[in-house]
Amino acid sequence: MAAKKEKKMLLGAVAGVLLVGVLAGCGDNGNGGSNEGSGKKVTLRMIESLTSPARTAVLQEMIAKFETANPNIKVDLISPPFDQADNKIKTILGAKEELDVLEVRDSTISEFSNNGYLESLNDYVKSWPDYATVVDVAKSVASLNDNVYFVTNGMYQRQMFYRKDWFQEKGIQPPTNYEEMVAAAIKLTDPSKNRYGFSFRGGAGANGVPDAMIQNYNFDNIDHDDSNFLKDGKSMYSTPEAKQALDLYVKLYKEGSPKDSINWGYQEQVQAFTSGVTGILLQDPDAIPSLMEKMDVNTIGTAPMPKGPSGKSFTATGGAGWGIAKNSKHKDEAFKLIAFLSSPEQNTYFATKTALIPIHTSASKDPFFQTDMYKTLLDMASKPDEFVNLKANTKYPGIGQWGQVAMESGQSLLLGKATEEDTLKKWDQFWADQKANLK
Amino acid sequence: MNDDRPSVIGRLQASFRNSPRGFIFFCLLPTLVLMLVFTYYPFFRGIVMAFQNYQLFDLTNVHYIGLDNFKNMFEDAKFKFAAVNSVYWVFISLIAQFTIGLSVALLLNKRFRGRGFFQGFVFYPWALSGFLIGLIWKWMFNSQIGVINDLLLRSGIIHERIGFLSDPNWAMASVIIANVWYGIAFFAIMLLAALQSVPSELYEAGSMDGANGARKLLNITLPYIMPTVITTTLLRAIWIFNDPSIIYGLTNGGPAGSTHILSSLMLDKIMYSGDYGAASAIGILMIGILLLYTIFYLTVTRAAKLGDF
Amino acid sequence: MQRHLFKGSKAVFLALYLIVMVFPLYWIVITSLKPQKEIFSFPLKYWPTHLTFQNYINIIKISKFHIYIFNSLLISISAALVVVVIAVLSAYVLARFKFRAHKHVMLGFFLTQMLPGFVALAPLYLLMSRLDLINTRASLILMYTVGLIPFSTILLKGFFERIPSSLEEAAMIDGCSRLSALIRVIMPVMLNGIAATFIFAFVQNWNELFMAVLFIDDESLKTLPVAMNSFVMKFDVDWGAMSAGTVLSVLPTIALFAIAQRFIVEGLTQGAVKG
Repeated sequence: MAAKKEKKMLLGAVAGVLLVGVLAGCGDNGNGGSNEGSGKKVTLRMIESLTSPARTAVLQEMIAKFETANPNIKVDLISPPFDQADNKIKTILGAKEELDVLEVRDSTISEFSNNGYLESLNDYVKSWPDYATVVDVAKSVASLNDNVYFVTNGMYQRQMFYRKDWFQEKGIQPPTNYEEMVAAAIKLTDPSKNRYGFSFRGGAGANGVPDAMIQNYNFDNIDHDDSNFLKDGKSMYSTPEAKQALDLYVKLYKEGSPKDSINWGYQEQVQAFTSGVTGILLQDPDAIPSLMEKMDVNTIGTAPMPKGPSGKSFTATGGAGWGIAKNSKHKDEAFKLIAFLSSPEQNTYFATKTALIPIHTSASKDPFFQTDMYKTLLDMASKPDEFVNLKANTKYPGIGQWGQVAMESGQSLLLGKATEEDTLKKWDQFWADQKANLK
Repeated sequence: MNDDRPSVIGRLQASFRNSPRGFIFFCLLPTLVLMLVFTYYPFFRGIVMAFQNYQLFDLTNVHYIGLDNFKNMFEDAKFKFAAVNSVYWVFISLIAQFTIGLSVALLLNKRFRGRGFFQGFVFYPWALSGFLIGLIWKWMFNSQIGVINDLLLRSGIIHERIGFLSDPNWAMASVIIANVWYGIAFFAIMLLAALQSVPSELYEAGSMDGANGARKLLNITLPYIMPTVITTTLLRAIWIFNDPSIIYGLTNGGPAGSTHILSSLMLDKIMYSGDYGAASAIGILMIGILLLYTIFYLTVTRAAKLGDF
Repeated sequence: MQRHLFKGSKAVFLALYLIVMVFPLYWIVITSLKPQKEIFSFPLKYWPTHLTFQNYINIIKISKFHIYIFNSLLISISAALVVVVIAVLSAYVLARFKFRAHKHVMLGFFLTQMLPGFVALAPLYLLMSRLDLINTRASLILMYTVGLIPFSTILLKGFFERIPSSLEEAAMIDGCSRLSALIRVIMPVMLNGIAATFIFAFVQNWNELFMAVLFIDDESLKTLPVAMNSFVMKFDVDWGAMSAGTVLSVLPTIALFAIAQRFIVEGLTQGAVKG
């Protein structure tokens, strides 16, 4: 018995040493073998970034259709958890591991193209008939320096969600501008009932609201091609209007939002609204499924984004989409897949399933987008003079750091550890540096 | 392969009998090879970035910049703050985890009704990943929708909600509480295993001398398990110092950087700024601090004739 | 009198400790049994009005949790076994022999614990890619083994040192080789140490997230922590699924503690008989 055990142990140890030898041996060989030459079947490796289990299921369903239509192409979809997805994509690209189709976001397009990871799709989209019906906003969010780097798979745009019942209770109308919004938030706030006006977000993504407010307060002077700057080239954070906007922003936090929200990110912000702690939420349409699942739908109202003192409001459209990796060996097949996923039929299906804005002009007629939750977005789109679309400012590779800088200095400001002037100076400096570093 | 086996083993055994050197080499080989190839090699590949301008968003412009990353680090007020926080984080967590862990291990070392049941609940936090601990505690600590505030309010202990993670006066304490909760199990398991290896004759001899419980603990038990105590406290201090996952999950260093420790600041540089140069510089400094601490700790404990490094 | 007081305070300590330890688990279990709408409804409910197993059904039917549990078990157990084998050998040598490189090897072990792993992740990915190990279970088994060897060795070394070397010397005089003396005579005496090492290694592997996210691509090879991490979405944490997943992921570890406890006790009694 013991002898048998002993042999097994020894065997294990020997196997361990052998394993090490084999592995170390492999290392000397350098490049791992690639799986070419196995017939004509091409396998595409594809990775998504804005992952959720439900979304992955939809994608897989669409890919299955593609594979039936193209029996020579197989697609391996990689779905890392949302939290880690972009880091994984960056690691794969950095290691030059095989990858064909990848999800590029408005927040990563500059970094990826700057590092030479992305293939320009200009020639591909030229010979793709469906590109004609893609709306301009979807095209512009996906391009940089005259190159198309991805085909947008869905767009998001903020709107206001509010608690109809709370507003009725207090006898107030949904706010139309930022002043009104802050006033309404303060009115709704009643800590004794654990009720607060505004679903504030001071953690990850904190820059969203102050940026939008400062843009709207500088409405007439904003450079539409460089939306963090004014037409005269100074950053928008350097003006007296920026100070006004920031005043209001601080007031919104101090008097109309939960103290705790200084550290909230996307999830807590939405959770607070769905749990009935807060009454106003500014969010993208992909938050809608969460709201519908957890709340009584009759209590949710939607309204257009608040306006600035000019009586107008900028709308910023974000988006993500499918791009092709520069070192992909199957670019034609990759684009075939992208074209399939982005056809009016497939994209509209995808958009309804993931609660995003579809990219084709024809899609807004789909009955799905006529429902209450989405109607406001369509209304906003139909009044382009009141709700002026502002091109997303994605050209700065360092833009990823902005969220972090704005969050930390913003928290100091809200805690009263920094003055508004110093905070604006810091923000102005950040963007001036970005501009100076831009090649 | 099958035919070879007896002769290989036979030869190995024969050679070990003749020279302990061969035996030592055979036993250490897998460990050393694995460690060198898969721990040290990637690490040194990574750590050179400390001397480079290595920004993830601009990999076309990677070049050596000497000690600039270190210079920037020392000038950064956030870094100093995080360094001070690290000290609190490590020592408060460690002392609380150890004291409670030891008490639990001592209690579990005796038989009592429901011991097995109790044990399962002592150990389960260890079975959760750091990211999950962060997520769960972040949810429970939330001042509006979290259960801890709700419980405290209902039981009348507090009358106003506490911003456990948003009030800078509370935030550090909160992340430490979560960390202590998580780490007790480690000490409980390790110390219990050590306690159970204390030979019962030692206690019998002690009883004859008329030693009481506290005396036995101080004179017999503790000295016997001291080597385990020294290694586990040392390693645990290193791990607590190095592990950012709980802070990353709970506060991500906020509000306004008030809960950053060095390791979470480093992770922040990687995950959000993509500044691998700055991250590696912090990494090198952390190794330096830990090396000094380890040498100091081992010297002190050996001076007390307790260590057996 | 003093005795009673001591016992009483002991009971209070145990009870308090149990409440603090158990409450989060209670909260997770209760959440996992609540219907989606009730999880975030106010006021908070400490007992669900409608008990439901829907969350468990969902994570098994839709999220295919059984696959992840299988992968996690396979990877964690394999890596923990390999670690124990390798670490027993190196720990024994380090406990029994004084040789020239002794100090350096030990220092090398301690140093690995100080290296901030995140800095090495990208180069490690490159290495795995060169070795063609990306998207294999072997990549995780290998890396988990590597990661745990130093601590396991340090831990086991402590256990070896508590066993008098006269034990295996006697066996060797009887004609045993050193290796068989180690396996036949010493290891049974320190089963508790080996069990503790195994549990520790298993649990660390069971919980590892970052390498698992990075190295594994296929759904069919993913591990439990990765699957749980995917319940954190852009706007939402699916607490129904997350809590049910947590309960399922904690169960195997608690079972392991229960089984291993018997080993530890057995090792103790054996040790007592031999000693």
